[in-house]
Amino acid sequence: MAHKKNRHVGVVGIGQTEYSSHKEYQNQVEMVNEAVRAALADANMTLNDIDCVVHGNMELFEMVHQPDMWHSLGTGAFGKPEFRITTGGTTGSTLVCAADNLVASGMYDVVMAIGLEKLQEGNTTGGITNMADPLWFRHLQTGALTATTATMMIQEFGEERARRAAMKYRIMMDKHAVLNPRAHRRFGLEYEQMEDLMKTSPKLVGDLRLIHMCSQSDGACVMIFACEEKAKKVSKKPVWIRDHITVHREEMFNNFGIERPEMTHHYAARKLFERNGIKNPIEYFDVFEMYDPSAWWGLDWLREFFLLEGDEHIKMLENDEWGLDGKLPVNPSGGVTSTNPIGATAMIRPAEVALQIRGDAGAHQLKREVKHGLASGFGGTLWTVLIMLEKDLKW
Amino acid sequence: MAEYYGSKVVDIFNTMPVRFKPDGVKGVDVTIGYDILGEGGGTWVVTIKDAALKVEKIAGDLPKCSVVMTADAEAFVGGALGKIDPGEAFASGKIKVAGDIIILGNVLPKAFEKFTPIVRARAIVESMVERFRPEKAEGVDLKIGYDLSGEDGGAWTAIVKDGTCTVKEGLDPDCTVTMRMVSEVFVGLNLGKIDPAAAFGSGQVKIEGDMMAAGATAKLFKKFEVAGAEEKQGEELISLKCIPSIRHRFATGSHMGKWFKGLKEKKFYATQCPVCGRTQIPPREVCAVCRVRCDEFIEVGPKGTVTMIDTVYYASPDPLTGKVRQTPYAALFLVMDGSTPSESFAHELNPKDLDRIESGMKVRPVWAKERTGSYRDLLYFEIDD
Repeated sequence: MAHKKNRHVGVVGIGQTEYSSHKEYQNQVEMVNEAVRAALADANMTLNDIDCVVHGNMELFEMVHQPDMWHSLGTGAFGKPEFRITTGGTTGSTLVCAADNLVASGMYDVVMAIGLEKLQEGNTTGGITNMADPLWFRHLQTGALTATTATMMIQEFGEERARRAAMKYRIMMDKHAVLNPRAHRRFGLEYEQMEDLMKTSPKLVGDLRLIHMCSQSDGACVMIFACEEKAKKVSKKPVWIRDHITVHREEMFNNFGIERPEMTHHYAARKLFERNGIKNPIEYFDVFEMYDPSAWWGLDWLREFFLLEGDEHIKMLENDEWGLDGKLPVNPSGGVTSTNPIGATAMIRPAEVALQIRGDAGAHQLKREVKHGLASGFGGTLWTVLIMLEKDLKW
Repeated sequence: MAEYYGSKVVDIFNTMPVRFKPDGVKGVDVTIGYDILGEGGGTWVVTIKDAALKVEKIAGDLPKCSVVMTADAEAFVGGALGKIDPGEAFASGKIKVAGDIIILGNVLPKAFEKFTPIVRARAIVESMVERFRPEKAEGVDLKIGYDLSGEDGGAWTAIVKDGTCTVKEGLDPDCTVTMRMVSEVFVGLNLGKIDPAAAFGSGQVKIEGDMMAAGATAKLFKKFEVAGAEEKQGEELISLKCIPSIRHRFATGSHMGKWFKGLKEKKFYATQCPVCGRTQIPPREVCAVCRVRCDEFIEVGPKGTVTMIDTVYYASPDPLTGKVRQTPYAALFLVMDGSTPSESFAHELNPKDLDRIESGMKVRPVWAKERTGSYRDLLYFEIDD
């Protein structure tokens, strides 16, 4: 049975800053304000129309308490009910889930969700390490850097095929990012560089090289959610939140034994598709915006999210089926390897899906009609959030 | 020689001795090789040892270095000037590094002041046209010759006539006044680094022709500004820098308390799920699969089988000590003898085994002499030969 909803919830406004490694010209408040204004303009609303604000970033990165209070001049939350949400990497998608629940419940008609990060103001890798379990693992963790997935893929598919596939995935993401003027890293990589990058990009951990890994970005993303009645009134093209699921299981990285338990990604997808009656997710969805922190993870997780088996996901990559003109385009925005302002990252995913459904994505708009979209969030020790978005209220 | 963003590759190396900060590199002993490709490139070796610096241009192959940077000349100069993001040049392969990569991030910023572009005489003379103030030049008709010696020198004639100023190469024979000096003196005077009275008085500047005209030229031109300097001043962005350092003390709780007590006695205690029988190490109070309490402990190990090796090359700060970790090091995932096969345990590998370790190998724990009930009680695992 699908998520029980009291009423339908539509996305009626989206605002994003440009994403970059440096935003010295803005403080956090100003950066948030830029995205808030853009979202209000997109929704054709003013702050008077907003009933409640949900605010989130990974505040331990910048180490400032009550950022919701500090940012209130930029968010416009003054005098309004407000919630602050901090769930690490998943923050952005948890914000969307919370806003959806707040509107669906009937508590508020219009909710504005704000995700942001200014990673330039802290030390991301040091910060992540410093948040690991202090009793066991902090002494081992190196931020979000690990090559465990690379090692497993090499074991399963052989060095040559696995390495080429990961690099092809990375270059494909860069080609998508080049089309997105808001994306942070747009290198202009070519597939001819594959062999060279496989050898020369500096190694971070094992087979995880610098080029494979996500960026550290600054930026903010804002989405406005409205109940069905209001959404239809204010927006010509509301995008509907159909369902979402959050799965987390282990608080440690203990899943690298001789037998591998079911990944949270797989579990989340299986449950979500089951309760929504989706038999063939590859056929059903028109776009997937994935939280892909590295090329290795991104490629490996496609198998989990779409319940694929063996090397189906690699074959699809080799046949360009995850590309913009492929069977199921993944990350037309360029994804997380190009842009990663952590507290906003998991919100950019459903925001970009909604833009694709509306047909407003710009240069990276898919050529096909986009009706059904999927977005994922990721954080911590394999937390997973999946969000389904729809063009029409028909399910 | 080719210029990039107004600077040459050699400028960066030639200014190293003046930019060098001996206090920043106490106890450092490194050799850095540079292979700069493209026009204006070449190979250099920079040695920092005993707080002293040596910069050599090398012909032929680089000798053995602690780290070698290979870079496209434009990316190298652009990176030094902050015109391009070095991280991105690095990620996209325009700058490549072999060897101990940490040196570049840790030693270089402490060893050198930031490179600022060298101002050359040509840039100053050529900017005279833009700096000309026609409102001060009414009725002025003169030709000013500059004869500048030295590597960056040259000869130019500035012609002021009918409220305009033009500059051309070479000395006109009929200059109203000609000034001869070493080009560095000319640059120093224009940047305000050399006192004009002293320069003229000491004979560093030789003037031929109309002395009065020479004195009058200053008011005909706006002051020379280093490109970007004025703009930079207008856009100064103030940011606060701080390094927080906080002492923490974490209570272990019952299950982790038992775990650490075990480590003191060189024993590994795991919990066992009463429903699925799964062992958890380190012990956790609940089985996340069956969602039941786990209060039964069994001893596992002390040896285990390696399932995964994560070899880390990227040097990051260790939040437990504040020091940058020595790389490479390896995190091992292993299944301890007596554990259920899905349950891996993670710890460090003895660095001596880095080259030999493989998945499937048997490893044994190496204990600290003094054990206090912490992760430090277990030094690392090593290959059980």
